[in-house]
Amino acid sequence: MNRIPHLIILLLACLPAWTLAQETYPFNGIRPKEVTALAFINATLWVDADTRMDGATLLLERGRVLAAGIGVAIPAHAVVVDAGGKWIYPSFIDLFSDYGMPRTPSADRAFSPNPQMESNRKGAFGWNQAIRSDIRAAALYEPQPEAARELRGIGIGSVLTHLMDGIARGSAAVVTTGEQAATALLRPDAAAVYSFNKGSSAQQYPSSLMGSIALLRQTYYDAAWYLSAGRSSERNLALEGWSGLQTLPQIFDAGDKWNALRADRIGDEFGVQYIIRGGGNEYQRLNEIRATGASFILPLDFPEAWNVRDPYSARLVSLGELKHWELAPTNARRLHEAGVKFSFTSSGLADRKQFLSALRKVKETGLAESEILRALTQVPASMVGMQNELGALRAGYVANFFVSSGNILEPGSVILDHYIQGELHEVNTAPQPSIAGEYAFMSGGQASVLSVKGEPGNYFSSLLTILPDMGEQQPDDSPASADSIRRKVNIEHHGSQVTLVVEADSAARFSRWRLSGGITEGRISGQGQDASGEWLVWEAIRTATAPPAQKKSPTAAVSRDEGEVTYPFTPFGSAVTPEEETVHIIHATLWTNEKDGIIPDGEIILHQGKIAAVGKGLSTAAYPFIRVIDAQGRHVTPGIIDEHSHIALNSVNEGSQASSAEVQEATVIDPEDIDIYRQLAGGVTAAQLLHGSSNPIGGQSALVKMRWGATDRGMLIHGADGFIKFALGENVKQSNWGDFNRTRFPQTRMGVEQVYYDHFHRAREYGNAWKAWSAVQSSGRKKSATAVSPAPRRDLELDALLEILERKRFVTCHSYQQGEINMLMHVADSMGFRINTFTHILEGYKVADKMKAHGAGGSSFSDWWAYKVEVKDAIPHNGALMWENGITVAFNSDDAEMARRLNQEAAKAVKYGGVPEEEALKFVTLNPARLLHLDDRMGSLKAGKDADVVMWTDHPLSVYARAEMTFVDGIRYYDASRDMELRAALVAERARLIEKMLRAQEGGSAGREPAMKNKRYFHCDSLGDR
Amino acid sequence: MRLILLPFLVLIACIAVAQQNPTPAPKQDKSVLIMNATAHLGNGQVIDNAVIGFDQGRITLVADARTVRIDMSKYTTVLEASGMHVYPGFIATNSTLGLHEIDAVRAQDDLSEVGTFKPGVRSAIAYNTDSEITPTVRSNGILMGQIVPRGGIISGTSSVMQFDAWNWEDALVREDDGIHLNWPEVVHRHRDKNKVNIERVKTYDQQRREISIFFNEARIYCSSPVRIEVELRYEALRGLFNGNRTLYVHAGHIQAIREALTFKQEFGIQKMVIVGGYDAHLAAPELIAANVAVMLPRVHSLPLYEGDDIDLPFRLPALLFKAGVKFCLQNEGDMERMGLRNLPFHAGTAVAYGLPYEEAVRSITLAPAEILGISHRCGSLEVGKDATLFISRGDALDMRTNALIYAFIQGRSLDLRSKQTELYDKYKRKYRESK
Repeated sequence: MNRIPHLIILLLACLPAWTLAQETYPFNGIRPKEVTALAFINATLWVDADTRMDGATLLLERGRVLAAGIGVAIPAHAVVVDAGGKWIYPSFIDLFSDYGMPRTPSADRAFSPNPQMESNRKGAFGWNQAIRSDIRAAALYEPQPEAARELRGIGIGSVLTHLMDGIARGSAAVVTTGEQAATALLRPDAAAVYSFNKGSSAQQYPSSLMGSIALLRQTYYDAAWYLSAGRSSERNLALEGWSGLQTLPQIFDAGDKWNALRADRIGDEFGVQYIIRGGGNEYQRLNEIRATGASFILPLDFPEAWNVRDPYSARLVSLGELKHWELAPTNARRLHEAGVKFSFTSSGLADRKQFLSALRKVKETGLAESEILRALTQVPASMVGMQNELGALRAGYVANFFVSSGNILEPGSVILDHYIQGELHEVNTAPQPSIAGEYAFMSGGQASVLSVKGEPGNYFSSLLTILPDMGEQQPDDSPASADSIRRKVNIEHHGSQVTLVVEADSAARFSRWRLSGGITEGRISGQGQDASGEWLVWEAIRTATAPPAQKKSPTAAVSRDEGEVTYPFTPFGSAVTPEEETVHIIHATLWTNEKDGIIPDGEIILHQGKIAAVGKGLSTAAYPFIRVIDAQGRHVTPGIIDEHSHIALNSVNEGSQASSAEVQEATVIDPEDIDIYRQLAGGVTAAQLLHGSSNPIGGQSALVKMRWGATDRGMLIHGADGFIKFALGENVKQSNWGDFNRTRFPQTRMGVEQVYYDHFHRAREYGNAWKAWSAVQSSGRKKSATAVSPAPRRDLELDALLEILERKRFVTCHSYQQGEINMLMHVADSMGFRINTFTHILEGYKVADKMKAHGAGGSSFSDWWAYKVEVKDAIPHNGALMWENGITVAFNSDDAEMARRLNQEAAKAVKYGGVPEEEALKFVTLNPARLLHLDDRMGSLKAGKDADVVMWTDHPLSVYARAEMTFVDGIRYYDASRDMELRAALVAERARLIEKMLRAQEGGSAGREPAMKNKRYFHCDSLGDR
Repeated sequence: MRLILLPFLVLIACIAVAQQNPTPAPKQDKSVLIMNATAHLGNGQVIDNAVIGFDQGRITLVADARTVRIDMSKYTTVLEASGMHVYPGFIATNSTLGLHEIDAVRAQDDLSEVGTFKPGVRSAIAYNTDSEITPTVRSNGILMGQIVPRGGIISGTSSVMQFDAWNWEDALVREDDGIHLNWPEVVHRHRDKNKVNIERVKTYDQQRREISIFFNEARIYCSSPVRIEVELRYEALRGLFNGNRTLYVHAGHIQAIREALTFKQEFGIQKMVIVGGYDAHLAAPELIAANVAVMLPRVHSLPLYEGDDIDLPFRLPALLFKAGVKFCLQNEGDMERMGLRNLPFHAGTAVAYGLPYEEAVRSITLAPAEILGISHRCGSLEVGKDATLFISRGDALDMRTNALIYAFIQGRSLDLRSKQTELYDKYKRKYRESK
């Protein structure tokens, strides 16, 4: 048994004998054999995240751990390394990586301005280029020495790697950061990976987040159908790949808290629990994140501080971003406290070298060291089912570990060596011992004081000589005086050798000396030359060691000086969401929209989210806890309902195909849109969030209430009927999309009709096929179990269209010109359904009689026109004319700004066309409720209806009316006086965060330039995602 | 007293004319007296029970009916308007009415000429008096406007036009009132990977220098007594240096506003107006000191920053009023031409958010007239000024009550119908007849 100092092991390790053999490979030379074991002794050894052993031994052979612990017997054939003072950790595992993959191809959409309708993968890979489940990372993997070195340098010994391209990305492989492919590839098909991002595919579909969601859902159905029936008629290698991967761990690259919830819901539908790659903002919705039951792969790309010194530029940095800067490092701790399992990934870091410092930041937030280590080792190992091979240092485990100079989660510790499958990779050389201190310096019989400050590589040094006839020694820092001479010294220090250059003094009593010396404990001695070439002998004996440099230590105490998480995580959010209350509004002018009409000096009681009573002299005896609001001089109306809105959405159009009936706005709600709050301040309580108008058959609507602070799901109106957007005219013909968009069918109004007939006939046949199959199933089941025939292919698009035919889903159709309005009513009549609502319907006044006969309602703009050729005949009297002809008329916004003044828009029905005021108010309350089939619950002040109520400062149709309070479900989501408090709180919170940011920047960089995420305001024709 | 339906009598004959813009009214040949209306003078004053007379296109009488003796024989037409409201014609500023018709039709687009510095480009000659949008605008009380070219750093020269004319020459109220300088953006949209960010413009200083160089050369050119060649672009700036024209600086960000004020001093610009000025309330003392007025951004717009007070755009007029900064309203933005008819309601919203009512009237009458340099003739109900005014059944700043029955431009009684009212009448008849 031989003991070798650490330095020598470096040399040994470079021999091929230490590498893991690749058995089948021929060898050029004398084939080396691995005949020795390796033992580290006296180490501080982390066997796993919970087990730290001091003075422990780690024994390994042929790339695997043989034994680890105290009192391990060291075999005779082992090379022993003294790891005294060193810490040994199992290597970290990063589950979200594209290490070893070819460069991710960039999208080829730049090459042609023409829309790409079909997949550019022309083989038998299915129709959509973003479904790439046939791709295997293992087959693409090649070691990349540079990238491997970088990963090893931050402690990562193995990764789950995949080609980050597409929505279904195929399989991922576990590889080590070693450099021989055959041994580094640990598990070829270790997981399947998905995302919402179509990557390099320039195919039009999907063009939005909701399209990606629909595509994933459809692919699950297609894959099931393919196995049962489809294979007999077509081959699809992507679907075959998809099915083959289903038993593996399923990883979803969500990258954001809401996308995590979206992904999890897809998983729920198909019985899949994804492991979710998060976005670092999961703490902002902890309860919902926990409820997914998913485990997470968390990035550590904490936001860099901004330069907030200029108060005006600082406005660009939103409150949410300031708060995220403060709270992002607490994400892991908060998830841990909530019981969510997670691992860490280095992906997303602008500079991967920040990984260790980011981990230390996490520790500063108060997350226990063992939890951090677990998230880097055992958790990721178990996520890919390799918990018996990776992530710990026990007998039989892969010998992936690194040696560090100290606790790796403490600042100043560095990784020295990283062993991958037993093979040594040097990361950092051991730091040189410091020679800082004070020395008694003797040369030529003259005593001086040599002072050395600083640290290795950066010494500041001087030599103070007291002239012989002088008195006491001067303090170290005093300037040279007449009786002493201070000379500057430059020190170069290499291993055990030093070179000193002692400069001449200003009075030239001493010339420049060039000295060389060797270091032995506490003593440096040697020889040197002065300026005249004379040799001199010198010696310096240490009299005092320098105190260690005082470093700013941010780890001194775990700081919990953190701002609150507010819901939503934006301005005007609150840590506690407002609650439902029992309210008695008195002395109000009530606009009931019921047969009582307008009740002056009326009363209304809101209780348990409903209107309990409306009238005069109401008894409140049944309500012990009631809040009385004196509405003297105020008007109270039902909440405003916006029949046509695109706020609070991440995407509006999936306009890539003539029909996108399968997409659902409900899947892309953004409940943190500030316009929700702004519209509450305009009295809006509910809205239909519509798909856009870029194709004849758009997507499914989301009917929501303005529940500020709720989740996306929480905003949805429970039990509401399903609606779908259709569109006619210039947008669906792509008339104003430029000359290149002349490919997608239809390009004329004539084609639009054909699109409808084609789709509805197919939907009917689809319905018939299912009916026939069900009939065979039920009769077959009676006779024999063998008569089961495969089910027809489930088609999400035709499902939605069939619902229309079966009058279970209702059409809101974007429309302008009378001719096509007429056409669509004919289509509907002949296919046996009714167009529920024509929206925009600016030429509705020309066909009001036909609309009435068909039974369609109209939801229009009050006074928009002249923005396109098809609206040149639009008139502001349109609403009045339709109303006079007995049509249910609403005025809608389609505009985030106008939506907060819809009461004023209703007033325009009075101005243009003389609609009575009570009826005009219904244009934005009861009538949209009717059009949305919600009039049994909303739209009027009636006992039993939802307590969606607005209190106005003035006549509700007047330009002078401001909403003073807006209740949704009896919850006061907007209150003008509370708004003032929220404004003050916003100013204070921003000021606190900016102060904190400036403190954090003291002495450091100025921070990054302020920037604001541009908010996109959606209209009907807005393409792409926010 | 009689309410004489003068304009209607004249125009009934025209009803059969299908979907043509109304005929411009002939010169005023009858003297008119409006009696007993509430008169909002435009200068901040109101007369509850007013008499207003005008003749030959000019206002001859503005008085309180209870304190003045009227010689009825001087008037050929008397309009009884008790319970109604009279206002000076509302004035649109920074408008593109008549420069573009239907947004989506490129052939109708005369908004923006090619180039960066093009002060010589004049809106007056492109102003289309036959726009079908104009009649829909004036029927809500907006009777004249400043028509402004767009685009580049210097977009061109604006003119003030009235909204009832046979051709652009007839329409001119003030030709070439000023030059429009789009101050370089301090912050702009910027695409970073998949995100669009708004951040500081890196080329700001360079663009700022280019403006200085251009103005410096123009100033030297304009002050030089010797001339060999004509430089049209510099010629157009001549009026800025001698105070005949106004420099309209389109700037929203505080830094741009402050730099524009420095620029005013640097080049001795006598008349400057800030157009847009979202941040103007932050620079009130400087604006007052420099005697610079502000054309505020559209009142009906969303706050610029997520954390801004949710009603900030509604409240900006009141903020500037309280700070003592001169201002008027304007309507630049999406659908600015067809939406211009809502300008009175922007003033109404400003009232709801703290601006005194008569000040709101002023912000779309006398204030813009002063800013545009036409207040000696327009902008208020005062003897000697143009009889450009209208009568509304109710409060004209509230859409609930805004209902014009008469409007006059320089005393000429307008046909208040439009293509839209004709379509309305046409289909009303269709349904009436089919019933």
